[in-house]
Amino acid sequence: MGQLTQPNPVIAPVDVANHQGGSRPLLGARLGSPKSRATPLSARGEPVVWLTGMAMSICIVMIVALLGITVYQGSRTFWPKPIDTLVMTDGRVVMGMPMATEHFVPQESDRAAIEKLKADAAGFIPGAFDAQGRPVRTLYRIGNKEIRGEPFEWIELYKVKSTRRDPEATLLERNNNWGLWIGVAERVERRVKPAEGSGSPVITTLAAAEKGKGLWRSIAPLHGEASDRRGQIAVLSKGEVGEINQRLERERQDFEQAKLAAARAKAGMGPAFGAGVWWAWLVMAVGLAAVAAVMTRRLIQMADRPGSVTPTRRLVVSACWVVAIGAALVAVLERPSSASMSEQELAALETRYKAKSDELNAAYQSVLDRIKEIDARDAEVRLIVRDAESGRFAPTTSTAPDEPMRLSSVVRWVEPNQLTFAGKVGVYLDRWREFVFDEPRNTNTEGGIFPVIFGTVLLTLLLSVLVVPLGVIAALYMREYAKQGVMISVVRICVNNLAGVPSIVYGVFGLGFFCYTLGAYIDRGPMPEMVVSRFAWWAGAIGLGMVVVFAVAMGLYGRPKPGREATRTQKWLMLLSALTWLAAAAGVVGLLVGTPYFHGFYEYRPAATFGTRGLLWAALTLSLLTLPVVIVATEEAIAAVPRTMREGSYGCGASKWQTIRRIVLPRAMPGIMTGMILAMARGAGEVAPLMLVGAVKLAPELLVSKSPPFLHLENSFMHLGFHIFDVGFQSPDSEAARPLVWTTTLVLVCIVLFLNLAAIRIRAKLRSKYIGGAF
Amino acid sequence: MDAPTKHNSNARGSGPGEGGEEVTRATILPKGPGNEDPTAATLIPLNAPVAVPVESAPTGRVSSGSPAMASGIEAIREGRPFEPRIHKEVAQHEPVVRAEKFDLFYSGKQALHGINMDFPRNKVTALIGPSGCGKSTLLRSINRLNDLVDGVRTQGEIFINNLPVYAPDVDVIDLRKRIGMVFQKSNPFPMSIFENVVYPLRIDGERRKGVLAEACEKSLRAAALWDEVKDRLKDSALALSGGQQQRLCIARAISAEPEVLLMDEPCSALDPIATLKIEELIHDIAGRYTVIIVTHNMHQAARVSDFTAFMYLGRLVEYGKTAAIFQRPQLPETEQYVTGRFG
Ligand SMILES: Nc1ncnc2c1ncn2[C@@H]1O[C@H](COP(=O)(O)OP(=O)(O)O)[C@@H](O)[C@H]1O
Ligand SMILES: [Mg+2]
Repeated sequence: MGQLTQPNPVIAPVDVANHQGGSRPLLGARLGSPKSRATPLSARGEPVVWLTGMAMSICIVMIVALLGITVYQGSRTFWPKPIDTLVMTDGRVVMGMPMATEHFVPQESDRAAIEKLKADAAGFIPGAFDAQGRPVRTLYRIGNKEIRGEPFEWIELYKVKSTRRDPEATLLERNNNWGLWIGVAERVERRVKPAEGSGSPVITTLAAAEKGKGLWRSIAPLHGEASDRRGQIAVLSKGEVGEINQRLERERQDFEQAKLAAARAKAGMGPAFGAGVWWAWLVMAVGLAAVAAVMTRRLIQMADRPGSVTPTRRLVVSACWVVAIGAALVAVLERPSSASMSEQELAALETRYKAKSDELNAAYQSVLDRIKEIDARDAEVRLIVRDAESGRFAPTTSTAPDEPMRLSSVVRWVEPNQLTFAGKVGVYLDRWREFVFDEPRNTNTEGGIFPVIFGTVLLTLLLSVLVVPLGVIAALYMREYAKQGVMISVVRICVNNLAGVPSIVYGVFGLGFFCYTLGAYIDRGPMPEMVVSRFAWWAGAIGLGMVVVFAVAMGLYGRPKPGREATRTQKWLMLLSALTWLAAAAGVVGLLVGTPYFHGFYEYRPAATFGTRGLLWAALTLSLLTLPVVIVATEEAIAAVPRTMREGSYGCGASKWQTIRRIVLPRAMPGIMTGMILAMARGAGEVAPLMLVGAVKLAPELLVSKSPPFLHLENSFMHLGFHIFDVGFQSPDSEAARPLVWTTTLVLVCIVLFLNLAAIRIRAKLRSKYIGGAF
Repeated sequence: MDAPTKHNSNARGSGPGEGGEEVTRATILPKGPGNEDPTAATLIPLNAPVAVPVESAPTGRVSSGSPAMASGIEAIREGRPFEPRIHKEVAQHEPVVRAEKFDLFYSGKQALHGINMDFPRNKVTALIGPSGCGKSTLLRSINRLNDLVDGVRTQGEIFINNLPVYAPDVDVIDLRKRIGMVFQKSNPFPMSIFENVVYPLRIDGERRKGVLAEACEKSLRAAALWDEVKDRLKDSALALSGGQQQRLCIARAISAEPEVLLMDEPCSALDPIATLKIEELIHDIAGRYTVIIVTHNMHQAARVSDFTAFMYLGRLVEYGKTAAIFQRPQLPETEQYVTGRFG
C-alpha cells in the first residue's frame, strides 16, 4: 500500500484500514449495495409536497382574483364609453352611456304587453330579450342631474323603438358640482349685459355646431381661453389671497400674543427677579454645571486606580449635577421676557399692527378686484348644450334655468361617438392624469385624488419614521438589557396581544390622548385648574431632585460587585431604586401638568391647532398600532445575531452599547426592515382609527406650504382607505362614484406595492452588506 | 493530515500534494522510530494523534499498555483531591497571566476546580484535554468573557501583569482591550475588512485615518493576509473564505497590540491548508505575544506551543514544556491521553 511508505501510518485512510483488517463494517458498504427496494412514499414525503402545493395554489388564486378584479375594474373605468340615443315607444328620447345589462322579472301589469310583443316578433330592438326569452334592461348613465334629479336610469329594452349613435352626442365633465352633462352641443355665445339696468343682454354667437360634426372642433381655442381664465382666477384666489391672509393672520397672532403677555405681567406673573439678579443667578448656574463637569472628569480619570471610584463619590457627583440642572432651570424659567411689557409699548405695537393690517387689507381688496374683473369677462362666454329629452340647455345653476352654463365650467369635452381609437386612448390617459394629479371635484365623485395620495404617502412615511425607532428601542431593551424573567415574558405576551386589539380602540385612544390631552397641552398649556403656584411648583421640583438623588444612591449601593451575586439587601435596594425612578418619572409628568410657566404655543388662536385631529396624531396612533409588529420582528432579528459575533466584539473590549450599535443593530437591520415593511403595509391600509384621529372627507391643502414650518402636520388630511369608504358608501351619488372606488383601490394597492418594493430593495442591499451569503 | 474537530477523523486520508505539511511537521516533531510502530496504529486506530512509543517513556510509573485507567483520572472522576504536576521549567519564566486557586461555577455546577497556573511571557502555551474539561472556560475566564453567561460565579483570582482580573473595581472593558481573543468559529463583523481589523481601535475612540490605516496594514501583514486583501479592504469581510476570515479575526485580535492573545481552537473549523497557514502565523508572532491556545489537536499543540497544559474535568493535571509533555510525561494520565488511550 502506498500509504505505508508515508512517514505517519496513523493517518492511513479508512478504506485502507478496512481492507487490511476487515473487522469494522463500513457504513458505506450498506449504502453502496444495489437498490433492493423502493423508498416508501411516506419517507419521500410526496403527500406533504402535494399538500403544501395545494395550500399555496389556493393562496395564489385568492390573491390573483382580488388583484385581478381590482386591476380589471380599476383600469377600465376611464375608458370613454359611447353615448346611445334611444327613442322609446312612448316617444321619449334618452341619451346615455350603457353601464350594465341584466335580465329582470317584469311587473305583473307589463307581462301581457311583453308576451304580445314577443308573439309579434317585431317592434322591439335586437337584444331586448335574452336567449331564454327573458326581458333585458340596461343601466344608462344619463347625467344632467340639475334638471333630471337622477343621473342613472334602468331602461327596459323592450320599450325601446330604436337606438342610434349620434356623432354630435357630447359628454361634458364639469366643475360645478352637478356631475356629467350629456346632450347635443349647439353653440357658444357671448352675452354682454347692457351697461346699466335690466335690459336684455346682447348676444353674439361665437361658434355654432354643424350637423353631424359636433361643436368641439370649432370651439377648442375658445375653451382654451376659458380654461386660462379659470386658471388665473385659481392662482389669484389661492396663491395671492392665501398669502395675504397668512400675513394678516401672522400679524394678528403676534399682536395677540403680546397682549396676552402684557396681561400676564399685569397680573403679577412676570419674572421673579430683575435683570441684575437674573444675571447673577445665570452665572451661578453655569458655575455649578462647570463644577459638576470637573468632578465628572476627575471621576473618569480616577477610574484607572482600582477602588477609588466609590459609590459615594459617584453619588456626590450626580447630586452636583442635579443641583446644577435645577439652577439652570430657574435661570431659564425666570428669564426676563416679553411678559414684562409696559402699557406704552403695547399701545405702540397696536398702532403698528393697525397700520400693517390696513395695508394688507388694501392689497387684498385689489386682488379681489382683479378676480372680479376676470370673472366678469369669463361670465360672458356661454355654452348651449341641450338635453336630448327636454331640449333644455345646461344652466349655470339650477336656480337660474335660463342662463346657459359658462364655457369655462367645462373641464373635459368628449364626443365619444366620433372618437377614433387613438382619440379614446388620449381621453383615457388624460383622465388618469387628472385622477392622479388633480384635486377632487363634485364631493369627491369626480376629479383627482392627488391630495389623497399625498396624505397617504406622508402618513405612511411618518408612521414608519416614528414606529421604527420606538419599536427598535423597545425590542433592544427587552432583548438586550432587561433581565429575562417572568416580568419580561409578561411584557412580551402583552405586546403580542396588542396586535389583536381592534384598531378602532387605538383610534379612540389616539383621539383622547394625543388630540385632546397632548395636543391641547401644546396649544394652551396645562389646564388652569391643575396649575399650582410658583412656590408649590418649585417645592415640587426640589422634591423631585431629591427623589432622583435618592434613586441614584440606591442604584449605586444596590449594584452587586462585578462577578459576584447580589445579596438580599442589594436586590431590595435595586428594586427600591427602580420604583423610585418610576416615582421620579411620575413627578416629571406632575411638574409638567402643574407648571405655571407654560401657556401653550398657540394660546392666541381661537381654534385648536394641535388639540384636534391631524396627521401627526394619526401617524402616532398608527405607530402604536403597528408597534407590536416592529417589536416582534426586531426581537427576532436581534436574537438571530450569532453569539459568536457578540462575543467577538466583547472580546475586543467593546462595551455593551458599542456592541449593540456596531454589531447587533447593523446585523439586525434587515429584520428591522421586515418589521417596517409589515408596519407600513398595515398602516397604509388602515381606516377605522384614522376616521377618529385625522382623516377627513375633503382637505385639498397639501400640508405643505411656502410659509414656515413648511410642513403642517397638525392639519387633517385625506387618506386613500378613508377615501374609498367615503366615495363608495358615503357619497350622495354613490352610483356615479362607484367606479372611482376601483381606481382608488388600484392606486392604493400600487402605492403600498411601491413603498414595499422600495423597502425590500433596501433590505436586500442591507442583507448582502451585513449578513452576506458567502462562506 | 490533521483533523478539523473530531479525534476519529484523523483517520481521513491525506490528499496528494500536501507534502509541505508533512515536511513542516517533520521539522517540528522529533520523529522517532516508534512513530511507525505498527502496533500503535492497530491498537489505537482512532485517536492517536501523536504516537509516542510506550517503551520510550522515561518514567517507570507508566504501566505499559495497561488498559486500566491511571489512578489520578479515577481520583478526579470521583472528586477526590488531586495534586497537579507542574514541571519546574514553567517557574523559570516570568508569568504574564497567573491563576490562583481559581474556581468557576456555571449556575452552581463547578466547571473549574482550583486552577493554579502561570502562563509565561512571550511564549505559546497550549491547553489540551478532552472535550468539556474546561479549557474554553479557563480561557474565557482570563478576559472575563464568562461574565456574559448568566449565573456564573467565580472564586480565587486571576492576575494579568499582577493586576487582579476579578477585583471589584476592575474595568472589564479596559481589561478586554488588553487581551486579544480568537474564537473557534471565525466571527468577522458585518462590516468591511478594514473596519473589522481596526474595530478594537475604533471602539477605543481612535479616529485618525493614518493611525488606523497603519494599524490595519501591520496587523494584516502579521496575520499573513495583507497580500490577499490589500486591494479590497473596503469590501465586506463576510465575503472572505473561512480560512481568510479566521486570519482576519487574528489580525483584529492583535491590531490593538494586546498583552495576551487567547485562541480557542482557532483551526478546528478550517481545512488543512488554512490550518497550516494559521499555525505558521502563530509561529511568527510567538516571540512577540503571549499566546494561550486551546486545541483538540495534539499535532497542533506539539507544533506551535512552547508549553502545554493537560486538563481533565475542570482540573489541571500536568503542565510543562511541550516536548516534555508529549515525550516524557511525568504522569501516566497525561501519557495515556497524549497517546490517545482515553479522552
Ligand atoms: N454557558 C455554559 N453554561 C453552563 N455550563 C457550561 C457553559 N459553558 C460550558 N459549560 C460546561 O462547562 C464545562 C466545561 O466546558 P468548556 O470549557 O466549554 O470545555 P472545553 O472547552 O474544554 O471543551 C462543560 O461541562 C460544559 O458543559
Ligand atoms: Mg471549548
